[in-house]
Amino acid sequence: MIQETRAMLEFADDPKQIELATYRKNGGYDAFEKALKEMSPDDVTQEVLKSGLRGRGGAGFPTGRKWQFVPKGNDKPKYIAVNADESEPGTCKDRVIMEQDPHQMLEGTLLAAYAVGATTAYIYIRGEFQKSIRIVEDAIDEARAANLIGKNILGTDFSCDIWVHPGAGAYICGEETALLTSLEGNRGYPRIKPPFPAVEGLWRCPTVVNNVETMACVTQILRRGGDWFAGLGCEGSTGTRLFCLSGHLKRPGVYELECSTDFTLRDVIEQIGGGTLSGAPIQGVMPGGSSFPVLRADELDCGFDIESVAKAGSSLGSGAIMVFDDTVNVRDVVLNISEFYSHESCGQCTPCREGSDWVRRMLKKFQTDGPDEGDIATLMDVTDKMDGTTICALAVAIVWPVQSFLKKYPEAFAEKVTA
Amino acid sequence: MSGNESKFSSELVAKVNELWKRYPHKKAALIPAMHLIQAERDGWFSDETVADTAALFGLPDMHVRGVVGFYDMFHSEPVGRHVVRLCKTLSCKLRGADGLIQHVNERYGVKNGETTQDGCFTFKHFECLGHCANAPMMLVDDEKHLDLTADKLDSVLGGLS
Repeated sequence: MIQETRAMLEFADDPKQIELATYRKNGGYDAFEKALKEMSPDDVTQEVLKSGLRGRGGAGFPTGRKWQFVPKGNDKPKYIAVNADESEPGTCKDRVIMEQDPHQMLEGTLLAAYAVGATTAYIYIRGEFQKSIRIVEDAIDEARAANLIGKNILGTDFSCDIWVHPGAGAYICGEETALLTSLEGNRGYPRIKPPFPAVEGLWRCPTVVNNVETMACVTQILRRGGDWFAGLGCEGSTGTRLFCLSGHLKRPGVYELECSTDFTLRDVIEQIGGGTLSGAPIQGVMPGGSSFPVLRADELDCGFDIESVAKAGSSLGSGAIMVFDDTVNVRDVVLNISEFYSHESCGQCTPCREGSDWVRRMLKKFQTDGPDEGDIATLMDVTDKMDGTTICALAVAIVWPVQSFLKKYPEAFAEKVTA
Repeated sequence: MSGNESKFSSELVAKVNELWKRYPHKKAALIPAMHLIQAERDGWFSDETVADTAALFGLPDMHVRGVVGFYDMFHSEPVGRHVVRLCKTLSCKLRGADGLIQHVNERYGVKNGETTQDGCFTFKHFECLGHCANAPMMLVDDEKHLDLTADKLDSVLGGLS
């Protein structure tokens, strides 16, 4: 049986873990203190590189390498922006860290700031997460009072402030450049990359944008060692990771698991998720949020790691595994997904703004009347033209799932033949 | 109303002054400040509130109006005393969000974006609210209600005044 490996969530069930005293009693901030007093900033980056940590927001970019992109010897201020805008459908893990062990995120943030020489960090928390905002703000206040945040931290010459910055309800602000535009006080429009934020981010200064869970992993890595982290999971998917199981499952929840090529995505759905609640057969799975292609029930025997799921034609993305059984109509499922993206398109690029709503209307027609002859080809053609023609990845986040549903469930989208 | 510089309460202006200290440019505090402003101005941005906000920040009215329009948590029309946000995205849909939406439509007579006749609450369908493992769910103002059923929903909404 697959078991949880609890590192990030080791103390998460203790309601006192959100308090500084308990966090410190459980070893909290020891790694940060050690880094400040015994390690150089580059030592911290090297430890993270050694761990093999890949960002937990969805794209999976190596965290240590991202930090290395920050120019050295630049006299501009440097910033950290923690991406706590968790809003990819199916994803509900960063909130668990913020509500149950917020100092773990703050310690990782301080370590990242020390590694790249940042003096201010902003935690961009989606505005709907009022509970997270309250808890993280309280944690910051406690840490500041203990001189763990602020000027000359623990008597060293390292200074770093941390502030919570609430969003106001826009999925696109989880895209790292949109997050920065929003943080500067604007509509959350993504920016063209390059320049990447590590070179030109907030107020055109070098800015590292890392996900909440990534920061919690950084804490674990500096606490237990890069080698320890690299020894968990499997090649390309090291460490532990928070997976969000939801949908038609018997045991939905947030679980901390190691990736592996020794068991399969199906094993995780059955053993951790308990299979479907109703006992009905699985019809499909979105294995990493709704922005990637769907996997049919006969495609779930791939390994449970980033590479294996990619080879199977989808992505582990943000770790959000959404399962639906055969009691639901796939036309309803894909329409629901398209409604999300057409609502959340920021409106900046024409192919996405116009295309996402057109796709939604087309799928609405499919749901009620079914496709007419030629509709599927037109839909494929339009979505092909949305792919790669926009500033950010939101357009492909509707193209990939929609095209995958049409290809993988052709019987549900059979065209009416006109006489 | 306090003083000549601002049409907002002195408490609010003091809080915004604190926010400004966190950023190298005042404009960055706009969205955090707009949450406070919306709360002080009955939960929505009238033309007057947009203009007052713009004046406080030294920004064009149109910039503030653009921000109000962009973010789902800011309202450009009056809302009820409470705002009920029901998640309708996939994980919640699979666990019965459609049925709850229909229940609210029928029992309380409000559709997406509408306010009950007594002004008690405004009902909104919302995209993913990040509690997918406890679906379906809703937010009533800042409070979350998880693993929702029609009975639970009624007991929460019935307690609103």
